[in-house]
This record gives sequence, structure tokens and C-alpha cells, in this order.
Amino acid sequence: MLLKLAWRNLWRNKRRTLITMASVLFAALLAIFMMGLKEGSYSNMIENIAGVYTGYMQVHKEGYWAEQTLNNSLEFTDSLKEILLEEPRLKGYAPRVESFVLTSSREFTKGAMIVGTDPEMEDQLIGLKKKLIAGSYFHEDERSVLMGEGLADYLKLTTGDTLVIIGQGYRGINAVAKYPIKGLLKFGSPELTKTLVYLPLKEAQWLFGLESRLTSIVLLPEDPGNTERISRRLKKRISGDYEVMTWKELLPELDQMIESDRAEGYIFMGILYVIISFGIFGTVLMMLAERKHEFGVLVAIGMKRLKLSFMVFMEVVIISILGAMAGMVASFPLVLWFKLNPIRFGDELNEIYEEFGFEPIFTTSTDPAIFLTQSVIVFILASVISIYVFINLSGMKAIDAMRS
Amino acid sequence: MYVIETKDLSKVYDNGAVPVHAVNGVDLNIEDDEFTAIVGPSGSGKTTLLNMVGGLDSPTAGTIVVNGKDLSRMRENELINFRLNHIGFVFQSYNLIPVLTAKENTEFIMLLQKRPKKERDARVLSLLKEVGLSDKINKKPSELSGGQQQRVAVARALAAKPDFVLADEPTANLDSKSATNLLNIMARLNKEEGTTFIFSTHDQRVIDRARRVITLEDGKIVKDITQN
Amino acid sequence: MLIKISWRNIWRHKLRSAVVITAIALGLWAGVFIMGFYFGIIEQKINDVVRSEVSHIQIHHPDYKKEDFNINYFIPDGLTISEDLSVDTLVQYTSGRVISMGMIGSAKANSGVRIIGIDPEVEALLTGIDNKVIEGAFFKGVKRNAILVGQKLATKLNIKVRSKVVLTFQHINGEITAAAFRVAGIFKTLNTTYDESNVYVNNKEFRKLVGENITYHEIAILLKEHEYVDTAAEKYKGLYPGLLVEDWLEIVPLMRYMTDMMDQVMLIFMLIIMLALMFGIVNTMLMAVLERTRELGMLMAIGMNKFRLFNMILLETLILAMVGGLIGLILGYITIEYYAVKGIDVGIFSAAYESVGFSTKVFPQLEARYYIQTALQVVILSIFASLYPGRKALKLKPVEAIRKI
Repeated sequence: MLLKLAWRNLWRNKRRTLITMASVLFAALLAIFMMGLKEGSYSNMIENIAGVYTGYMQVHKEGYWAEQTLNNSLEFTDSLKEILLEEPRLKGYAPRVESFVLTSSREFTKGAMIVGTDPEMEDQLIGLKKKLIAGSYFHEDERSVLMGEGLADYLKLTTGDTLVIIGQGYRGINAVAKYPIKGLLKFGSPELTKTLVYLPLKEAQWLFGLESRLTSIVLLPEDPGNTERISRRLKKRISGDYEVMTWKELLPELDQMIESDRAEGYIFMGILYVIISFGIFGTVLMMLAERKHEFGVLVAIGMKRLKLSFMVFMEVVIISILGAMAGMVASFPLVLWFKLNPIRFGDELNEIYEEFGFEPIFTTSTDPAIFLTQSVIVFILASVISIYVFINLSGMKAIDAMRS
Repeated sequence: MYVIETKDLSKVYDNGAVPVHAVNGVDLNIEDDEFTAIVGPSGSGKTTLLNMVGGLDSPTAGTIVVNGKDLSRMRENELINFRLNHIGFVFQSYNLIPVLTAKENTEFIMLLQKRPKKERDARVLSLLKEVGLSDKINKKPSELSGGQQQRVAVARALAAKPDFVLADEPTANLDSKSATNLLNIMARLNKEEGTTFIFSTHDQRVIDRARRVITLEDGKIVKDITQN
Repeated sequence: MLIKISWRNIWRHKLRSAVVITAIALGLWAGVFIMGFYFGIIEQKINDVVRSEVSHIQIHHPDYKKEDFNINYFIPDGLTISEDLSVDTLVQYTSGRVISMGMIGSAKANSGVRIIGIDPEVEALLTGIDNKVIEGAFFKGVKRNAILVGQKLATKLNIKVRSKVVLTFQHINGEITAAAFRVAGIFKTLNTTYDESNVYVNNKEFRKLVGENITYHEIAILLKEHEYVDTAAEKYKGLYPGLLVEDWLEIVPLMRYMTDMMDQVMLIFMLIIMLALMFGIVNTMLMAVLERTRELGMLMAIGMNKFRLFNMILLETLILAMVGGLIGLILGYITIEYYAVKGIDVGIFSAAYESVGFSTKVFPQLEARYYIQTALQVVILSIFASLYPGRKALKLKPVEAIRKI
């Protein structure tokens, strides 16, 4: 009953109601679109860097991360293997040997990161085969490399040429070798494309004198969202001998960059909503002022003030929620379009992004949380604003009101 | 010459099946100095006629000439300008701008006419004195009684030195004393300034004071009496 | 007079007007402050980049960059040129560097680095790198083959002052060479990525290892005044037509893009805020018009023409917006100036900021023209906001608005 009244009351002043709704729509639409874009780019970044290179989680020998040397390599024992296999939400794992070396062609020399890995497992983990842009993929018994295109360009090498590797191995031995380049890779992150060289695991272990040791085991969760949970579980079981690290711990810069950017987004959203709230409050003021007489009459004939206030509260809530929902609906095609057709940037913007090591792409996230959050925020705002309604009406004297 | 001269003035409303002749071929002549009341029951066309005389509405046929100018040919902007310079209005209520003082309200018209400051100041003070409100020049309408507000309205109406003043039920919301007072002022101003006053009214006191009473019925003038 | 009327009309509904004014003030305050925040970050970055990294002008062999910093492409006559420049009238400081890509290794780990051979005294004057040394000394305390390592790198390699490291790099004759160096000092700049990938050694010693006939790969110049940049660039381009002479904007076009992009982003940002505000303003003014139909009709009746009527509505909107705008701008100015001195600590994001070379203490600043720009935007906003309510006012017919005569 009250709801029906509230609804009809809204449409008495159609223009004002619609403008107020439109303002909420505007804020919600913008908030969703902006956060969608941000979250989309975060997922993209995480995937491109964490997903592709560090992986979402890694297991090392305890203390490896603090001192990343081959001397801190781990033994992939059966018990460790069992524990990993027992973990239900893990899609897979890939053993790795990573070390920094100098790579060289006839004329040029550059530092690079060797990633010794199981070709099939690595592909399962990060889809390495898809990153191949020239040549062909290697297999585990081969003695050849796949390298980033950026690095190959610098060294002026291409598929078929020989890459010289100079580094330091386990317990200080010299790690020097030559390998044919079987294929070239391109990653979403330009930084990775200029730095990585993949070697079959067995070969890397031989090169660095590691025998069966590894520097890390990269873990892939079925759902990246479970990373923290899985990490906690594993930590309980294997810490002491091993350390388990999530990508946030492995790449604190990336994590913080995302967090600070997200915070900026929230601040902006906050500003928008504050402004809109004032608009809603203004509308409430106008509603109360112009219906003073009517309210006086209602109270005089017996309607409890609380009930009256509640009715007005409902009006405010309806305006706000409808506006927010309209914003959600309006934003959906926009967000969807960008998700399916991500935009790549023009030159200058491209450079800036690449400078910071990110893929220059504009895409969105369709996480429902983003959408629903708006309605919740708006409801809370409407409620807070309505406190004024309750205060105002509780102090109203019917007779005075009817004199308006 | 007549201040107001209408020839065959008509206003027809075509709102549906039957066209309504609100004003039906009226010939009306008003001279300078007149103190005239227009009366008639509702539906008589009194309102419509005076709207046209006041340049607020356009006729469907006929002409209306005020001091030589044909209102029926004017476009809206010209009409507004004409009203500013040639016609004074006193409405039943809502005459004054609520945020301006009595002095500022009276002055307002002259500002619209872009008259120089000295002229404005002098005339405003003189008019407000005439209506007996010298001590209230800085009061806003909310601080004045109904009668006082109407008096300011009269001062305002005359400030622009109009050809005539149209007063629509000016006494309707006033008590006896204020009403009489107001009428006296207007009568005096009529004599002293020589401005034509045309009233639309049901108030017997006004009708009695008028020197000419025109009665309308069904869109036509049925009686035109000169008295007093 | 219209202004007087408009001003007083606003205060007929004190609370309602106050709400709109507050909203505008808050919106602008936030907008302006955020602009100051980001421009402060950029300004600092630019100053830092010029002072500590890029200097005003750099000179290279024309193919040095094309050939990916190959050590073979050093500056012919580099030593002479450097001398000449050091006495040039426009130049404050200049320094020449011998640069090679290579690897640094400690007992614990290896890492790729850019090895920069400098003349310590001269380089310190140019970039103030000596002030960034946080442990040990700037090329003192180690007799031979001293090296300066960045803190991030030192941590990674687990080395400290007086630790021994091996640098591996390519000699100009093509052979891979390695040499032992001892850490004389550890430095920390605003950019942890820089710290991780650059090490400093002595020019003369490095030449002996990488190629005696190498002059310099890079000559960097800091001018006496920032404004000399264009003049100096032209001058040196003319003096050394066979060399690549670049000013700082050409070397890091990123800086200009950043400023340009920030300008654009801020514009959109303010636009969005203004649009959000517009809803409230329109609603309020609409109410103000609709509740005064009789009064407005009366005004038209007594002779106020449409133009003036619209102006009155426009003025009311403008005054409303400008009062709020002024308050917002003043608040913004005060807060910006306050924090410009005090600084804002974004330390919780230190890893992120430092990795891309931004200081974690932000000193907001905003040029006067942005305040003016914002004020103008408010004026334009008001004009747009007044259109709809103004139209409503103009459509009123005095006859219908007042009681009929």
C-alpha cells in the first residue's frame, strides 16, 4: 500500500523525478564503465605478467626469493609432488630452472633470463605454444632454445642461428653453451619479449650443473581467484622447507600499481557519488517543501509520522535504485562491447604503456560485482539522505504545515 | 483622439465542435482622463476583452489601436515593449517582485526603460509619496500589508508614465478601509496626472466611484453609462 | 539591477541553494586538488629526470641508438668536444660517459646491467649522483676498479660496500671480457628500476678494459638555464652536424606525452564532474522557475522582454554556480598550497611508485591557468544548465500565468 502511494507520488513531478534518476544513472554508468575498464586492464596485466611469466603461485626452497641464486635450488621430492597433486584446485604445475645469463651473438651481447622448463607442462600452464611467432616449438629432449623476439632483434639473430649463453651455474661452475634458435616468442608484455629465453628443463639442469634440482615450481590454479586460498593451504603444509609465494608477493610493484590505480578509481567514484547525493538531497528538500500542506493534512487525519517518513523514504529509495539499475542496464552493452573488441592505443599512448611494461590495450571486465556494487552504494546513500526526512517530519506540527 | 480605440474587435476560440465567440465585434472608445469600470458576469468576455486591450492577447478579427498604434498587428516582442512603455498594470495580487523593496519595485519599470538615475530617483520618491508610503520605501512586500502592497503596485504602474492603467480587481483582496484608501489614491492620481484608469471589477465601491461604466454580455457591450 | 534581483532570488530558498552551492564547491575542490596532485607528480618527475637522468641535452654517435647501443659507435673526437662544451657559455655542467651493456655477478647471483663509465667529479656536478650514495663513499675508499651499485641491485646480489663483483661485457674487438671490481658505494635514486640496472665505474679504468680508443658513448649537458634548451640544441646541432644532438624532450618524449595526456585526462575528469553537477543545478533552477510562474508572468506582462527574462534565469544559474565554484577553487588553492609545502605521503604504494621513478612524497602544484580554465568551465556549465529552465520560463504566456483580467 505504502509502496503504491510512494510510486505514484514520484510521478506527480515527472520532470524532477526523471532528472534525479538520470543523475544516478549517470554516476552508476560512469562508475561501472570506469571500474570495468580498470578491472579489465588489471586482469589483463596480471595475466600477461603473472599468468605468463611468474605464474600465479610459485614454490621455492625456503629462502630462495631473498637470495635468488642457483645454490638455493630445491629438490622436487616425491612427497612434495604428492602434496601438490593432492591440492584439488590446482590445474597443474610446471617445474622450472631460472637464472640470469649473458646471451651473445657474433656482434652483440645482452643479459637475459633463462627459463628452463618442461615444454609440455609450460605450454599447459601458460600456453607457450601460442606465443610462438616464428620457427617451431621444442620438446623436452632437444638442445635448442625459444627466445623472445625483442631479444633476438637486439642480437640480430633469427630462427636457425646460434645463441651463445654465458652464465654462472650451481656452486659457481661456469655455464657456457651454444644453442640453435628453434623459434621466436612474443608476449603481451614487451619487457618479457626482450628478456626471456626458454630451454628444455633437462638441458637447463645440465647447463647449470643442477642435476635434478629446480629453482621454482610454478603453480596454476583452476581459478585465479583462488590463489590466496590455495597458497594459505600449501603454506601450512610445506613451509619450513619450502616457501609458497603468490604473484602479489613475487611482483609487489605490479600488485601495488594495481592497488593504487584501483584506489584512484574508488576516489573518483566517491566524488561522483557525493555530488549526486547532494542532488538527491536537493530533490528531497524540494519534495518536502512543496508537499508540506499535504503532509500536514495526512498527519492531522491520523497517519503516523513514522509511516509518512517511511513512505517518503521509499520514494527516495525508488528514485535512487531505479536510477542505478538504469545505469547498470545502460552500461552493459558498453562494457560488453569493449570486452569483445578491446581497443589498442595510438602511438603515443602505446609508448607510455610499453615504457611501463604493459600491453597497450583497452578492455573491460564483466564481473557482476562491479555492477551490483553500484546498487548497494546507491541504496546506502539514499538511506543516509533519508535520515533528514525522518528528522524533518518528526518535528512537523500538522497545523503549521497546513497553513503553507 | 482616443487613447484606446477598438473596431469590430473579436476573439473566437475554436476548441471543439462549436466555436466560442468570447468577444464578438466590439467597438470601444476610451478617451484621455477616463476613470472607467468594465463589468460583466463570468463568460461575458470582459476578461478576454481587457486582455486584448492590455496587449496580452491577440484578436482573431478587428483592430485595437492605442494612441495611434495598432496592437493587432504587433508581434510578441513588440507587444512586450509596448506594454512596458504605454500600459500600466495593477493585478489583483502578485504585483510585486518579492525580493525588491517598495522603492526598487517602483523603480524597476523605469530601469527597464533605461531612464537615467536622477529621473528615476525623483519620480519614485514622488510617486511613493503620492500613495502615502514615504516611510516604507525600503520595505519588502513581505513586510507590507495587502493594502500597502497594492499602493506600491499603483506607484509602479504609473512610474512609466503609461497611456493608461489597467487595474484587474485591485480591491478584491482588501478590507474596506484599505480598499477605499486605494480608490481615493487612484482617483486623485487620475485627476492630477490625467492618466486613464480602466478597472475590471465586481466591487460595488469601485463601480460607484467610476465615471463611466461599461457592461459586457456574451461578448458584446450592452450598456455604456456615464455617471458622476 | 538584474544581478541584484538574481542574487536575492537565490536566497529565497536558503537551504536549497546552499545544497547546490555546497555540491559545486565540493566537486570543484576535489577536482582541482586532484589536478594539483597529478601535476605535482609529473612536475617532480620531469625535474628529476632532467637533473638526475637525462640532463638538458645529450650527444651521441648518430647510429648509437639505432645499433642498440653497440659499443663500437662512440663519439668521434668525443674528448675534444667534451672539453669545448665545458667552457661553452650556455653550459653549466657537462659529462662524458663510456657505456656498455653487460652482466654483474656476485658470489650469490647475476644480473644484467648497463655499465656506465664516468668521470666521478664531473658527473657528480652534472647529476648529483654523489648525493644519492647512501652507503660507503662516492668513488673513495677503493683504490682500483671501484664500482657504484644501486641499492636494489645490491640487495639482489647480496653485496655490500667493499664486496667483490665481476663485470662481464664485450670488448670492442668482440671478445667477451670479465673483470673484478670492488663496491665503493651503494646509491639509491627515486627510481628503483634504474637502481637495479645501472652501475657506475671510472671512465679511465673502464676504457682500459673495453677499448682504449673509445672516447665517449654519451655526452650529457646541463644548461645554465632551463630556457636555453632550444637555443643550445640548435647551436650544437649546427656545431656538430655529424652527430646526434638531442634535447631532453626528444630523448624522453614520454615526458611530454605524460603532460599532454594528463592535460587531456584532467579535462575529461573535470567535464565528468561538471556533468554530474549539472543535474542538480538544472533540477534546482527548474524548480525555481516553475514555482514562480505567476511572478514571471507578471514580469512579462508589465514589460520585461524575453531576452531579459532569460538573462535573469541565466544570471541566477551563473551566480549559484560561481559562488559554489569560487568557494571550491579557493578551498582547492588553500589545500594545494598547504600540501605543496608539507607534501603528501603515498608511502603505502612505495614499491609501485619507486619502480617507475616517482617519489613517494607528492608535492601538489597547479598553475594559475588551470584555476582560470576551471572557472571558465563553470561559466559554460551554467549557461548550458540554464538553457532548459530558461526555455520553460520563456514559454510562459503572461495571460495564463496571471489571473485573467
